[in-house]
Amino acid sequence: MTTIRTEGTSFWASTMRSFAATVRRDGFGWLALVVLILMILGPLYSVVLWAFAERWQYPSLIPTEFGLRFWEQTFARADIAKALPFSIFLSVTVTLLSAVICLPAAYAFARIKFRGRQLLLLSFLATNAFPRFGLYISIAVIFFRLNLVGTVQGVILIQLINTLLLMIWIPTAAFQGVDRALEEAGLDVGASRFRVFTRITLPMVMPALSAALLLTFVNTFYEAQGALLIGLPRVVTMPVLMYSLINSQLVTQYGAIVSLVLWAPSLILLIVAQRLLRGGYLTAGFGV
Amino acid sequence: MTLPPPPEFKPRAAWRNDVVAYLLVAPPLLLMILLIFLPALQSIVRTVTLDIDGAPAGLTLARYAAFFEDPISRSNLLFTFQITLLTLAAIFAFCFPLSIYLRFNTGRVAAAVQILALFPLFVPGIILAYALIRFLGTRGTLDTILSVIGFTGYRTPYLKPQAIVFALLWESIPFTVLVLTAGLRQIGDSLIESARDVGANNWQIFWRIILPQITRPVLIVFSLNFLGIFGSYTLPYLLGPAAPQMMGVFMAQTFGQYRRPDDAETQAVITFLIASVVGFLYVRTVASQRSEREDL
Repeated sequence: MTTIRTEGTSFWASTMRSFAATVRRDGFGWLALVVLILMILGPLYSVVLWAFAERWQYPSLIPTEFGLRFWEQTFARADIAKALPFSIFLSVTVTLLSAVICLPAAYAFARIKFRGRQLLLLSFLATNAFPRFGLYISIAVIFFRLNLVGTVQGVILIQLINTLLLMIWIPTAAFQGVDRALEEAGLDVGASRFRVFTRITLPMVMPALSAALLLTFVNTFYEAQGALLIGLPRVVTMPVLMYSLINSQLVTQYGAIVSLVLWAPSLILLIVAQRLLRGGYLTAGFGV
Repeated sequence: MTLPPPPEFKPRAAWRNDVVAYLLVAPPLLLMILLIFLPALQSIVRTVTLDIDGAPAGLTLARYAAFFEDPISRSNLLFTFQITLLTLAAIFAFCFPLSIYLRFNTGRVAAAVQILALFPLFVPGIILAYALIRFLGTRGTLDTILSVIGFTGYRTPYLKPQAIVFALLWESIPFTVLVLTAGLRQIGDSLIESARDVGANNWQIFWRIILPQITRPVLIVFSLNFLGIFGSYTLPYLLGPAAPQMMGVFMAQTFGQYRRPDDAETQAVITFLIASVVGFLYVRTVASQRSEREDL
């Protein structure tokens, strides 16, 4: 009996000692870790638990009663049932349109040495160089006169702006990275240019293209300010709906559940985060 | 012996090359001109040619005079400046030590710190706003945690300027840390070791060796965060006070609720003019960085 207890204490004591030693050695790291856990995970902890809470009374660290009753209620709401498929449709449309508009341009930027190339490529930084909301107001004033406010076309146009830089810069860098010698070897053995493009060029730029498409889709899906300003009252996307769920706050759970559902596309990003990070795609949208 | 090159690969006349290229880059370029440059330019022209009642008036500064005579407009602009500078200071104070730590440390703690620092990248602004209300609000998670460890008298920053600063800082951590650590990795270990060999202390190494080498990443982080904060809407709207407001919230209200698009336009142009210096700095920094890379 006594031996076990002594062993127990010495085990804990040595664990605590080595833990204390690592904390001393890497004090800043541990401090940063604790601050970040509280600061970054704290807010997310609240959302996730609220989504599964039936009741949550202060001051309890976890919900007083768990349950899924509010999930049914949330999806029974007509506005949510309508906004979710519409948001997905809108993001897919904007992403595909952006690809059709930008990818040929990216190919030209990468492959053709034309006058003004560098300057035109840099001009797309303008999408970041304006204070975003001021620009939206400027556009809204014009759209107002063109009767584009409250239309799907108007929302598509304003959301396209945010996709340009990413959809041009990432593919341009990718096309530049393709080894021309490989393509020429393909042509030398008699393959057609189309075949060389689909069999040699495309597979080599595919990782970058899929990253650009994925990032564009996710960014567009969460774009809220342009859609709010141009879309209302007739066009309502999921993020726009979140504004009213947050402001009215009749049932806390609605906002939490919609937040969790809205999170899904970001979770896809998170799964491929390592690859995105290694390719440098995560900061490409900022021009760096 | 090599085969003759296939006919498609014959060098085309230079002008034909240019025309094909211009046709291919025209669609996104046109979209940008129509949706960014034209609206911005038109707004600028309208603010100096329209009278306060919206009638054409030749060249006039009446709309600007009206803006700066209005105490609410003035206090909103000042508030936007204060929040922007305060948040920028918070971002640098928070992210600089973090980035230096991540540059010089490996191991499990550093890996966990990096994952957490990058995590906000995967939390969209609108969800963040909701999460922070639940976290920072009265009887929210932070309040609960503090009361469990015996601290009562928590005063929530929700609907106060502090909540805006905290939210904007939260959002900009990943981008800032990514760009700063990438810049710091360009500095070789040997350079720092040799400085240490001649007796430099950590502080001197930071000011004399590290900082001069990462001016470009610092400028990019400064300018993009400035523009992002100055032009923000969602977080200040949902988390900040009703008055004073940041310019984004103010513009949206003038445009949407008060139905005065002309006044909203003046407010927008004022933010353009103020931010244009920083926007120029951003474009120039990225351009010089790229031209250097292409030389390599």
